[in-house]
Amino acid sequence: MGLRGKAAVAGIGMTALSRRSGRGELALAVEAARAALDDAGMAPGELDAVLSYHMNDSAPAIRVARALRMETIGWHNDISGGGTQAASILGDAAMLVACGVARAVLVYRALNGRSGVRMNTASTGPQERFTRPYGMAGPIPMFAMAATRYLAESGLGEEHLHAVVAQSRDNAAANPRALRRDPLPLAGYLAAPYVCTPLRTVDCCQETDGACALIVTTPARAPSAPRLHAVVRGGGPGCSAMDRAPDVTAIFSSYVAPALWAAAGMAPGDVDVPLLYDAYSWLVPRQLTDFGLVHPADLPGHLLARAHARVNPHGGLLSEGYVHGLNNTAQAVRELRTGHAEVALVTGFGGSYGSAALLVRP
Amino acid sequence: MGDDDLSGPYLAACARGELVVQRCAGCGRRVHPPEPECPWCGGGELPFAPVSGAGQVHTFTVVHRSFAPEFRGREPYVLAWIDLPEGVRAFGRVTGCPPERVRIGMPVRVTFEDDLPDLPQWRPL
Repeated sequence: MGLRGKAAVAGIGMTALSRRSGRGELALAVEAARAALDDAGMAPGELDAVLSYHMNDSAPAIRVARALRMETIGWHNDISGGGTQAASILGDAAMLVACGVARAVLVYRALNGRSGVRMNTASTGPQERFTRPYGMAGPIPMFAMAATRYLAESGLGEEHLHAVVAQSRDNAAANPRALRRDPLPLAGYLAAPYVCTPLRTVDCCQETDGACALIVTTPARAPSAPRLHAVVRGGGPGCSAMDRAPDVTAIFSSYVAPALWAAAGMAPGDVDVPLLYDAYSWLVPRQLTDFGLVHPADLPGHLLARAHARVNPHGGLLSEGYVHGLNNTAQAVRELRTGHAEVALVTGFGGSYGSAALLVRP
Repeated sequence: MGDDDLSGPYLAACARGELVVQRCAGCGRRVHPPEPECPWCGGGELPFAPVSGAGQVHTFTVVHRSFAPEFRGREPYVLAWIDLPEGVRAFGRVTGCPPERVRIGMPVRVTFEDDLPDLPQWRPL
């Protein structure tokens, strides 16, 4: 969907990230929402729409609206889903704004992902009926099996995955919000225990308690705010269902990348800062080539030379924390506000389904 | 047709120590795991038929930390998708060799002799 600046992200807000928030999801959502409203210079009464995504592990939109003392509410929705939504929920909000359905939309994700409902045993789909009796549970073994074949086909190994994780840690070093900020030398990476080969503990993002919120409104109301340029959502056969997928290593980006460039009228070279959904280390190289940011033949050397340092400058999901991807979306806004970046790419992963958005400086 | 009816003949064959895979009466293609409708042509008649039992590892993972509570303490074990020459992909554990020996492309054969009775497993040739 080409939006060409018909919606802007006027505010962002986050709670502290932790492994034990000690609070309910509603309190987290409201704190992040108030921070985003303050950031946008808006009062709760100026909001007329609320959107969230969750997996029955959060506070629903109307409860958050009520807690914010929004007297009435217009369009509101709880979208069922996880990481696939991290970019496209901006598109849902932008459609409301661009169509005149809403003036200002609150978008949030709030979860106690470590102390409450954890993701590590979440269902991976109907094929579980045949795979669960063998001891396959949760997303990690599924995405590990995709990673095994991906590494074999792309010529990457543990030193390349180390480069991804170590760079993420280095990028997070100056980020006070980040949960993991210490350097990770190769020996430390190799010493980390495997969860499911080839993924070690450090190749997986850390389950996190916290909330993130964004305010999407019209460019007229927020003339200097980063604009939504294009948003796409889609998918197809791949690592989400390996029984019949021709390419079990395929993730969402192999489907949404061509649609994104077509909708945007842009090329990969236009991107200044990529915010790539990095719940697992191997997703970074896979997206770098799918989105055309790196040629596949250059990939191993690119990673070892740390030429990907501009990816997730805050440390991403691997090091900052895991607010189901929406914290990467907030970072896209921060990057465009610095004045050093004109175009930011942000992505949402859920296996071979997902989303991507391009945000631009006005 | 409910899911239990659907996988009934498959599980009954497993209990006999036999791996069976659906064959679409409409287009002749093999279908696995069991489906109520052919994913290729939409046909609804999908009788089960035996397969050779041969296969090759398509991809795999060695589980060192299980998220299935009843499998905790039984790690490491190997989970794999197996390409069958009949044109379908089957799931299972690779047993009968050290986990670190498992490779993509490794030839395997179905076995029902493991600590998971009545479920097809795969062992190296």
